[in-house]
Amino acid sequence: MNRFEYADNKFSEIEMMIAIPSFIIGVGILSLPQALASATTAMDGVFSILIAGGIVTFITWAIAKFAASFPDTTFISYASLIVSKPVAILLTFLFAIVFFSITAYQVRKIADISKQYLFDQTPVEVISLTFFLVIIYAVSGSRVGIIRLNMMFFPFILFIAIIVVIFNLNWFKFSNFLPVFQSNINDYLTGVNKSLFSFGGFGILWFYMAYVNKPNKAPKMAALGTGFPIALYALIFLACIGVYGESVTASMLYPTVELAKMVEIPGGILERFESIFFVIWIMAIFNTTAMAFDITVLAINLVFHHIPKIKIIFLLSPLIYAIAMYPQNLIEVSAFETFLNYAVFYYSIFVLVLLFVVAKIRGVKPSE
Amino acid sequence: MRSFKRNGKQQKHNDEDIPVQLEKNIDKNLDNLKKLLDEPNDLVIREFVVRGTEHKCAIAYIEGLADSTYVRNHIMENVQLVTEREHLPKDTMNLFMELKQEIISVTSMKTGQTLDDVSNGILSGSTVFYLDGINEVFLMETQGWDKRSIQEPVTESLIRGPREGFVENLRTNMVLVRRYIQDPNLRFKTHQVGKRSKKSLVITYIDGIIHPDILKEINRRLKTIDMDDAPESGFIEQWIEDSFLSPFPQLMNTERPDKVAAALLQGKAAIILDGTPFVLIAPTTLGNALQSPEDYYERWTVGTLLRMLRYIAAFMAIFLPSLYIALVSYHPGMIPSDLAFSIAASREGVPFPPFVEAFLMAGTMELLREAGARLPKIIGQTIGIVGGLVIGEAAVQAGIVSPIMVIVVALNAIASFALPAYSIAIAFRIFLFGMMILSGFLGLYGIILGYIMINIHIVNLKSIGVPFSVPFAPTFYRDWNDLVLRTPIPLLTNRPKYMQTGDIQSADKGDQKNE
Repeated sequence: MNRFEYADNKFSEIEMMIAIPSFIIGVGILSLPQALASATTAMDGVFSILIAGGIVTFITWAIAKFAASFPDTTFISYASLIVSKPVAILLTFLFAIVFFSITAYQVRKIADISKQYLFDQTPVEVISLTFFLVIIYAVSGSRVGIIRLNMMFFPFILFIAIIVVIFNLNWFKFSNFLPVFQSNINDYLTGVNKSLFSFGGFGILWFYMAYVNKPNKAPKMAALGTGFPIALYALIFLACIGVYGESVTASMLYPTVELAKMVEIPGGILERFESIFFVIWIMAIFNTTAMAFDITVLAINLVFHHIPKIKIIFLLSPLIYAIAMYPQNLIEVSAFETFLNYAVFYYSIFVLVLLFVVAKIRGVKPSE
Repeated sequence: MRSFKRNGKQQKHNDEDIPVQLEKNIDKNLDNLKKLLDEPNDLVIREFVVRGTEHKCAIAYIEGLADSTYVRNHIMENVQLVTEREHLPKDTMNLFMELKQEIISVTSMKTGQTLDDVSNGILSGSTVFYLDGINEVFLMETQGWDKRSIQEPVTESLIRGPREGFVENLRTNMVLVRRYIQDPNLRFKTHQVGKRSKKSLVITYIDGIIHPDILKEINRRLKTIDMDDAPESGFIEQWIEDSFLSPFPQLMNTERPDKVAAALLQGKAAIILDGTPFVLIAPTTLGNALQSPEDYYERWTVGTLLRMLRYIAAFMAIFLPSLYIALVSYHPGMIPSDLAFSIAASREGVPFPPFVEAFLMAGTMELLREAGARLPKIIGQTIGIVGGLVIGEAAVQAGIVSPIMVIVVALNAIASFALPAYSIAIAFRIFLFGMMILSGFLGLYGIILGYIMINIHIVNLKSIGVPFSVPFAPTFYRDWNDLVLRTPIPLLTNRPKYMQTGDIQSADKGDQKNE
């Protein structure tokens, strides 16, 4: 008779598989078609997505594989083993800052989008604060609880996204997709670059892999998990191009939400589908933010393990909120976003390369 | 006072005049007993001699608790009229043994050595037999008070299914469970709760099916119970539940033996408390709360559809009025224009914002429900008429609320009545008001935040260590065949995986055995 394994604080590999897309899917996809459409011609952006997806899947797999070779070991312990304790603390701390910034960015972004699609009068501060309070509530609970929330919300998110694409099939103009392969290499690269950032979810693996039940199965599952957002992003991008065409898509702020606008529910029970879409999408943003905050707390807890979790949460929360409220307008927010995208993406890769190379040179044997 | 003897030293000197151990002298023993109970007039003490000897003896019981006909037929008569016997042993000890072995014809009896044993026995309906010269007594189980007969459970009536319900008597309830499961591995373990009330509490489970950790945890929690009395299983539930801050009931209560039997077969445990027909089932999950035994008794298509209906009802019970508030006051653009016009027209002249309107009506609804529940049945119907017709109609006519609001609140109430477990339905009412406040402040955004918060709470909640959200998350796809869906009986071959039962299979697929 096996123990009550699932009830303790470990994730199953399926939960790990869902955690990856739950983290990736968030505010990124809402504006991604715009970035791609302005970089590439017609439907060529989809190739950028697929190339970027391939790269990301590989990186995800590599990080998971690397982390899985140190089963049940936290990031800071195996990093200390490889690159000495002080460097490991620095790396962990930088991760904390990165995820701290992601949290702040999401908290801000949700308010900006809500203001556009849900209410025009409620101040940004209030919208952000209420959302952030819910995040704090989630993070104060158990870590495995957050992962389970992913499992609860992910079907809703997938479902609403697919509904949006399917109900838009009517409006597709196939002439919009053509001509194919008209972009030059530089355009593709810009597209790949932009898509890469919206797939930057592998950072969570550094920290969550220590909690996975069967680490040797996790790399495959994590790589599979990235398949969801790749397919979803490609579909949504195609739908945007099919419905709006390249030039209109390029001029919209959030083409994905605009796509939802075109949906008409049969029977006419409700109108303005984009509000419903965005309301459901809040769950996706919630998942991303909750995990980002959780990892911030986890990373800081790894460095200062004698401070109780709840204290860290209450110390960080006002800071996060202050930083979220700091940008004065959309332009500043988007500057923040750009900086963040670079930081998240390249920092994770930097850590992977660093640890991998040093481990090889010093001959640190994982998992004896 | 006596019962405190083992708990504290300071009480000991208070009743030093009454010795703990029984004496050899019968008169002293009887005196001590009278002194302890302060000679109540329902205490029957009958002194007589064993026939044909000089040995004094006595019986004592409490009238009403013990069955006096039974006492006369099986104790008094046998001791007084042992005519076939030529001679009885002269030696007191031998006589005592012979009385036990051959003369007294009571099925269940034990011996007691202390006054504590005697008082506990008498107060639980046993009859005590004293023999002069012996510092031991017989405690014979002669319980025979009036009890309610087995009736149809009032709170959980079904169209199809057994009509038996639990009663207040522990023995009867155990028998009811035994009759459903005639398995030698069916276990009943007794605890005693209540320092003063000394109630028996029985935990029942099937050995080999239940996961030992669950059993250990329930037993550990039951042992911590330390209160004067547990009048109802609700006390037990609230003592051993995982989180007292949660609005959700973390143990299920039921009056139906068939439900208990089904739960035992799924690897759960049931807690039966003497004196209440409500039996607790532990652990419980969110999915269980939305299931009814009838789902299994009817054909699977009906069962599945009813379950889906219940899930929709659960959502309606929580979200309907708050959706109305959000749509009308924050997002009127989302309502189709024809409907929006008719809502606007019906709200013409209503002086309150939708939030206040909804709160008023939902509050009235709660008031009506509470009033109706406490009143005798006949007046209860009057309340329904007064509430439904007079208040609903009149409030609309007076222009306090809009007719659509009345529809919304009525639908919401019906949805909450459609939930099979009262305790979960009442928990949902709490969420309902919370959601209304959230949506009054933040519209749809507030509703989704509220929904997320409920989910956060659910995933962090446990029932006896089992996650409340199982098998949704942590996900056990195999158990989904009996969650929202209820697949045909021949396909329900396994016990729930999330219970990690010892014996996995509960049915075979008949001819497909040779796989």
